[in-house]
Amino acid sequence: MDGRAPSMRIALTVNGRPVEAAIEPRELLLDFIRDRLGLTGAKRSCDVQVCGVCTVLLDGQAVSACCTLAYEARGREVTTIEGLAAGGHLHPLQEAFIAHAAVQCGFCTPGMILTAATLLQDVPAPTPEQVKAYLKGTLCRCTGYWKIIEAVVAAGRRTQEARE
Amino acid sequence: MSAPRLTKGAVPATRGVVGTSMRRVDAAEKVTGAARFTGDLVVPGMLHGRVLRSPHPHARIARLDIAAAERMPGVQAVLTGGDLLGATFAGTDPYYGHAIKDRPIVAIDRVRFAGEPVAAVAADDLAAADEALLAIQVDYIDLPAVTTVQAALAAGAPRLHEGPLRPGLFHGLGELRLEEGNICYHYHFARGDLNRAFAGADEVVEGEYTFPAVYQYAMEPHTVIAQWGADGLTVWACCQHPYLVRAELADVFGLPLSAVRIIVPYIGGGFGSKSYTKMEPITAALARKAGRPVRIVNRVDEAMVTTRRHNMTCTMRTGAMRDGLVVARQCRIWLDTGAYADNGPRVAATAGDAAPGPYRWQAVDVDAWAVYTNTPPAGSYRAFGAAHLSWIGESQIDALARKVALDPLEFRQRNLLRPGEEVRPGGKPLDADLIGDVTKVAAAIGWGGPKPPLVGRGVSVGLLTAGAHPVSTAAIRLQADGTAVLLVSTSELGQGARTVFTQIVAEELALPPDRIRVMGADTLFTPYDRSTGASRSTTLAGKAVQHAAVNLCEQLLEIAASAWGLPRASLAVRDGAVWHETERLSYPDLIKKHFGMVGGELIGRGEVRPQHGTGSYAEGPVFWEVCVGGAEVELDPQTGQIRVRRLASVADVGKAINPQLVEAQEEGACLQGLGNALFEEMLFEDGHLVNGSLLEYRVPTTADLPDEFRSILVENADGPGPYGAKGVGEGALAAVPAAIVNALADLGIDMRQLPLTPERVWRRARELGLAPRRDRS
Amino acid sequence: MLQPFEIHEPATVAEASRLLARHGDDATVYAGGTELIPVMRDGLAQYRHLVNIKTVPGLDAIAPAGEMLRIGALATHRMIERSPAIRAHAPVLAQVAAGVANLRVRNVGTLGGNLCFAEPHSDPAAVLIAQGATLVLARSDAERRVNADGFFVGIQQTVRMPDEVLVRVEVPARRPGAGAAYARFALHERPTAGVAAVVVLDGDAVTAARVTVGSVGPVPARVPEAEEALVGRRPDPEVLREAAGRAGGAVEVLEDLYGSVEYKRHIVTVLASHALDEAVARARGRGH
Repeated sequence: MDGRAPSMRIALTVNGRPVEAAIEPRELLLDFIRDRLGLTGAKRSCDVQVCGVCTVLLDGQAVSACCTLAYEARGREVTTIEGLAAGGHLHPLQEAFIAHAAVQCGFCTPGMILTAATLLQDVPAPTPEQVKAYLKGTLCRCTGYWKIIEAVVAAGRRTQEARE
Repeated sequence: MSAPRLTKGAVPATRGVVGTSMRRVDAAEKVTGAARFTGDLVVPGMLHGRVLRSPHPHARIARLDIAAAERMPGVQAVLTGGDLLGATFAGTDPYYGHAIKDRPIVAIDRVRFAGEPVAAVAADDLAAADEALLAIQVDYIDLPAVTTVQAALAAGAPRLHEGPLRPGLFHGLGELRLEEGNICYHYHFARGDLNRAFAGADEVVEGEYTFPAVYQYAMEPHTVIAQWGADGLTVWACCQHPYLVRAELADVFGLPLSAVRIIVPYIGGGFGSKSYTKMEPITAALARKAGRPVRIVNRVDEAMVTTRRHNMTCTMRTGAMRDGLVVARQCRIWLDTGAYADNGPRVAATAGDAAPGPYRWQAVDVDAWAVYTNTPPAGSYRAFGAAHLSWIGESQIDALARKVALDPLEFRQRNLLRPGEEVRPGGKPLDADLIGDVTKVAAAIGWGGPKPPLVGRGVSVGLLTAGAHPVSTAAIRLQADGTAVLLVSTSELGQGARTVFTQIVAEELALPPDRIRVMGADTLFTPYDRSTGASRSTTLAGKAVQHAAVNLCEQLLEIAASAWGLPRASLAVRDGAVWHETERLSYPDLIKKHFGMVGGELIGRGEVRPQHGTGSYAEGPVFWEVCVGGAEVELDPQTGQIRVRRLASVADVGKAINPQLVEAQEEGACLQGLGNALFEEMLFEDGHLVNGSLLEYRVPTTADLPDEFRSILVENADGPGPYGAKGVGEGALAAVPAAIVNALADLGIDMRQLPLTPERVWRRARELGLAPRRDRS
Repeated sequence: MLQPFEIHEPATVAEASRLLARHGDDATVYAGGTELIPVMRDGLAQYRHLVNIKTVPGLDAIAPAGEMLRIGALATHRMIERSPAIRAHAPVLAQVAAGVANLRVRNVGTLGGNLCFAEPHSDPAAVLIAQGATLVLARSDAERRVNADGFFVGIQQTVRMPDEVLVRVEVPARRPGAGAAYARFALHERPTAGVAAVVVLDGDAVTAARVTVGSVGPVPARVPEAEEALVGRRPDPEVLREAAGRAGGAVEVLEDLYGSVEYKRHIVTVLASHALDEAVARARGRGH
């Protein structure tokens, strides 16, 4: 067995749905998601874990899918941008990004929103400073970040108000 | 029918869609991950391509053996330069280049830069393609390489291109003269008596300046799918200029224009890196050899050797009188265009034109050369020309102001051109209130107020020749149910073109925006637009869209007038219908009347073409885009780090069709400008890129944001676009580095090289004997 | 591109060690993969056998153990950042962990992986050396203890034998009167320079000091010249400045994309000054 053929079976959950697949050990999670599952929201750009466009959530934690083996998703929950909207309703972050023009070319948007979603899980109503610090490792070349920060703060406030 | 004439200074009243910050029509797709970019598309039977690139900056290809690669499992085709001269490519011109046709689709016999494609493999999957690359055997014979402008211009330097240079289809620069040696292009202009003006000057400043190679880093790398079929060549690509690429591909492969189809999905950032022709010819050639569709996706390190910003050296001197009036400027500019021209000639011309800045001179003399070197080719990047020169010219303006003991803002107010004045002979007069702009930006950064220690302020003013070539067409198909489909070939790069056009159509046709559909460019369906770049889309393509909508209105009014037997003048378009007092005929009613059935469609068309002359570069520009910025910075003298406290820029847009999107563009441009100013730099060693990864090429993050940023919107209805609009989105990128350089100069630290890395600033501060701040305890 | 490989799932450290021994150069330890996957993908290293030590339970545990704190090699930077035990016992470690790379790397990257990969431009190692930490390496049934300041021998080279697995890091208890600090300078993804300082005060005298400089040389290194300038003296500003100057002057510095030798030496001096100031302030704050 030289590892060239799909030699491993994995079972995982993707956006709430069970998935089973035969993979090569060397298969990357990003390619698995994009090419095998057709979920192309996660993108490839820098390929060195710096830019964040490949971000997906593994058991709720943001990871760089470009440098993560698909193997690591076995038995775990993968969330991609396609899984964020629940029952036809956009996530508050998605709505806020639209309302605040925090989207331009859109290439960084899925990763940016997923990362912000993990922040809101941790810190429900973050301040602009907290958002700035949290998003430091997620790049955008179009927006200059201001409207992204506004959008995340607004989404946080809205989510907190909804809870109260 | 022409668009309504506007009186100067009056921002026109609209029905209420234009001028509002309507939500982007593509935002929902993008936030859900549904938006498709070229790399998300799969075509049946598609193969995956990879490119073998030269490791040498200059070499002969002595032997290229692809036999082993061709035999590998999963490999369907391997393309080499030799193929281009053979039977499969009979009728193909292996060279392309919109300005100068100097670029082979794949290297033929010789490589001229490290990273140049030498072969390409199409395989069933990327892993097989990668394996095949390793099996290709190439023997190179090193040739002496000239990897700097200085080396390329030295006597006896090897020539990168032998034989006469062939002009490309779209240089737009009039006659393209052939130059000596490794000079790709030379631009020169002069007016007035330079020697006399300098002789009479009370103060003269001069200096030598260095500007780095910078990478555009659009986050989506170049991606192309090419497919040959019975009806010709279809290409899906992230093209900013699909029609120019179509023309080039048709020219290269000997096809009629109608046999080449370019489809442009959403583009993940352009900034000029996807302008003109890049990876399309090699992908098309590989697909032809393979006999199957092929997709090639650049990695980021490959994208960096596909295009970049020109690095440059420059000498400049400027003279002024004691009373604060400038008299003369001389400037010589050397741009490193890399191994192939790409947009080098245009960049040289705009750099030359940016050198004087928008001031009233007695004499000006400018030379700009684009020079071939054995480095990756340089091309367009947002605000080219002005980004190169504004920081230099503006730093000399500040230096002169200090010499004559005048406040730099006041110095500018005395010398800046006013609207209507000539900027360059034979070209468009100034169409912006620069004095008003710079005064506003200065106020935004607290000009004149008290400054804490180690805090400096600077402003900058410049102009960009914007609009490129004014040729755009658009069509609107009004369907039987009253919904409209807009056909226009502007590329959606993220700037919001589709949204702005939707607003214009909604405005003119009195339709709700959600009844309007706009698609991306597909040259089979969407009519000709010259290009997406040079801040031209709202102004020119938008104008064509407006004309198309107005043309459609005319048709609807005609049908209604005829149906009612009433004069046209008594009718009005409102709320998706034509009205006469309280009577209305909706668009569906009118279409049904026209065709006698429920069906059919009305097609409105709009066209923009040069109003006088040929619309050439020399006769223009279409409008002057302002580059006005202000910066307040704080220096840490211990490390040389600069913290930008306040940043401001002016968006002088005539009329903001969508103010929020204008602001969004400004914010992005400012941050790119900040990156260019403080840390972005491609580092080469003997022609090899040594920081070809985001780990070592630094782009701005949220941590780099200034404490405060203000985008100042100026709407003077002084643009040639719809509702008096003119473009925006580039000026700030040129203005910000200039403002930051001047803010540092305000602290006594004059810098002659970008980027202003902490080490460079620290060294300069030390040279000037500036004492470090006391340790905080 | 990634060449084909097998992934092994050992249940114990001993089994992992045996797998490493069996496959020799063809095998490597696979933890978070944040540094391993990129180098394999770029063809800089080839391994046909990845020994996934994440399948060995308990290697990520963080817990006090008597006079020391044990940090499992598989503790991620994120876990270290958030660990109540580390925040109480060695807060500088938590601070440093919070600044490693970016949050995606911190979620997955492990302390052990970071130390064993030994990328020079990195923070955690310098702090651990200043803290006097010990690395525990295991092979089959035997464990071996190595001082952190003896672990690194060259660029991406450590004393770990190919069949050894780093299982944990042990950080000694805080001494009374001790204060620790870390100052770093970073322009890129990876740091340009970092200085870790631990200063122990008894009344008004420095009784012990450890100054470690990281990211500027091939390995993170203590600077004895700087430490000697502190021990037995009062921690006055001039004393601290002199020690900082020695740190900048004596440490081995390599020139690279991150800066020239001269600039890096200067930055080290600046950072050492900040780190020492803060370490002393914290030492005083703890007092007795």
